[in-house]
Amino acid sequence: MDGPDHLSAAAKAAWNAHMNAPELAVSAIHAVALEWTTATPAERERHWFRLHGDTDLAAWLAPLQPTHVHFGSEFCEHLLPSTRSLHQALRQAEQAGLCLALLTPLASPDVLAHLARLLPMLPAGAEVVVNDWGVAHELATRFPALRPVAGRVLCRMTKDPRLDARWAGRCGHGLEAPAMRGLFERLGIRRLEIDMPVFAEDEALDDLPLPAGVHLPYVYVAKGRMCRAGSLSMTGPERFAVGRRCQKECLRLSAVAERPGRGDACATVQVGNTLFSRHSDAMARVLRHAVGRGRVARLVVPGEPL
Amino acid sequence: MRIVAPISRVAEVALLAQAGASELYCGMMPPEWLGRFHALSVNRRPSGNLTRYEDLASAIELAHAHGSTLSLVLNAQHYSAAQGEAATEVAERFAELGGDALIVSDLGLVQSLAARLPGLRVHVSSVATCRNAGAARLCRELGACRLILPRDVTIAEAAAIAAEVPDIEIEAFVLNDGCIFEEGACHTIHLPGQLGGPICLDRYQYRYRRRDGGALSPGLLERLRENDESYERWLWYRFSCGFSTTPEGLPYGPCGLCAVPALRRGRVAAIKIAGREAPTARKLASVRMVKSVLERVCGGEDDTAVRRFAMELRPSEAHCATGFMCYYPEVLRAEVN
Repeated sequence: MDGPDHLSAAAKAAWNAHMNAPELAVSAIHAVALEWTTATPAERERHWFRLHGDTDLAAWLAPLQPTHVHFGSEFCEHLLPSTRSLHQALRQAEQAGLCLALLTPLASPDVLAHLARLLPMLPAGAEVVVNDWGVAHELATRFPALRPVAGRVLCRMTKDPRLDARWAGRCGHGLEAPAMRGLFERLGIRRLEIDMPVFAEDEALDDLPLPAGVHLPYVYVAKGRMCRAGSLSMTGPERFAVGRRCQKECLRLSAVAERPGRGDACATVQVGNTLFSRHSDAMARVLRHAVGRGRVARLVVPGEPL
Repeated sequence: MRIVAPISRVAEVALLAQAGASELYCGMMPPEWLGRFHALSVNRRPSGNLTRYEDLASAIELAHAHGSTLSLVLNAQHYSAAQGEAATEVAERFAELGGDALIVSDLGLVQSLAARLPGLRVHVSSVATCRNAGAARLCRELGACRLILPRDVTIAEAAAIAAEVPDIEIEAFVLNDGCIFEEGACHTIHLPGQLGGPICLDRYQYRYRRRDGGALSPGLLERLRENDESYERWLWYRFSCGFSTTPEGLPYGPCGLCAVPALRRGRVAAIKIAGREAPTARKLASVRMVKSVLERVCGGEDDTAVRRFAMELRPSEAHCATGFMCYYPEVLRAEVN
């Protein structure tokens, strides 16, 4: 973490609040410029604001120098990097002094075959964020030198953005259950990635069984294999079907999804096959509180605007 | 190849078994669960469950008397520690009553239940979203003897998994009740209709934007509008042509009847009819449809004849031709090619 001399007043206040600085990961689907990660906190603050349009968030993140780049896709098989792209990303990360973690999605047999080419490229000890039990099993049995991290798809938690507080009791997770802990242990999983609970209280992240990376400022709500935007250039039965080609429209397009007249507290955004909702003010506050109490091992922030 | 069908009432057991369902499955919601957890999450469905152990015992007995088996569904998205214990108690009661198999979504629970109740078969639910050979191997190692694939797989993928991991049975969807998102990767609640219903059917309006902040061209906006119209049409098909049936009560899609020959060649062991909450008449019609197709496949009819028969069953040729009503639209691709 950098000293506070270069910071704006808001960022200085935020820096002082970081009693237990977590690691900071920037997630990216394709190779993105990383020079800004080693820039001054003031420049980083401007960068975060450009990406996510939130003054408070930018000021809060600015003092933290990124430590990791999370590269690949948690949600889409078509966005898994090529070997060439991963090679380039590894080089970029090294130049920026960042550790690279490979993001992997729910896996079809083809994805598993492609991962068999990507995983040997990673250095020993590299993290692989797994969102598929089969990928976790492959890592445990064939790539024991890599470190599996249970991703957001595996770390299930009810996060419906349409709910009000009356539903808070339905919005838990089962990560602390002995059965799940046993499964993590069996597969050599020693870290988790989660979203913020929708109705988080100050102790919301206290009962996690493993060190956790927490995503912000969006929560992943649901993902399909079918992709609405990805069907834009398809016709006939190919449209909305699985296992077809994709032109990756989601890299350029997203959609704000609104329910007229409902007054939902959180903005909802669809990017490709996945629905996200933005943190409410209350969720952001609880996350900062949890960071201050040392309950968050790593923050994970999109390196591109949604 | 076995036909797997849902029941929600004891009276359905004999009907569906006699119609050709070789395996039946049900949910169980003991009153104490609701009292203890205030949550309808012993399985994925808020209704369509048996509520008394006496009924569960009768269902098991009737299923066996009619040459069928009964599986119990424990497929909530996740279980807390206390819910996991309570679900295990439900499973133990089911075993004591002579039940045949558990359908379990939580792989941690699969492991513990397989170890604790070796007399019961454990089937991994589609909600576990295991759809590759690595996941199938893990399920086998955890003690499961069957993997129910999620909805959105291709025939080739199902066959590849079955070929690569032959010591676990593969089950695939064949009829009814589509999902838009992958069921195991959808972290929402099927809300009551007045609050919006399932999120995929809620009346969201989409406002597209370029992620780099630029403006959308008129041409792209027009393509997006056309794509959205097509999506609404697909959605209608995905949910059984607006939740309708033929005048004779036969359900529309999602449907994989034309794919049965290829699934059978791909060593898929069982085909699943979804819809625990559906009326009895729809369940019965579903079993009869699947049974009639499977009889032709087993009787040696070729794929073209089976497809023609399946399309004429409702009849539904025009709907089928869109591909939007299909669990496995690649069957149509193969036909075109």
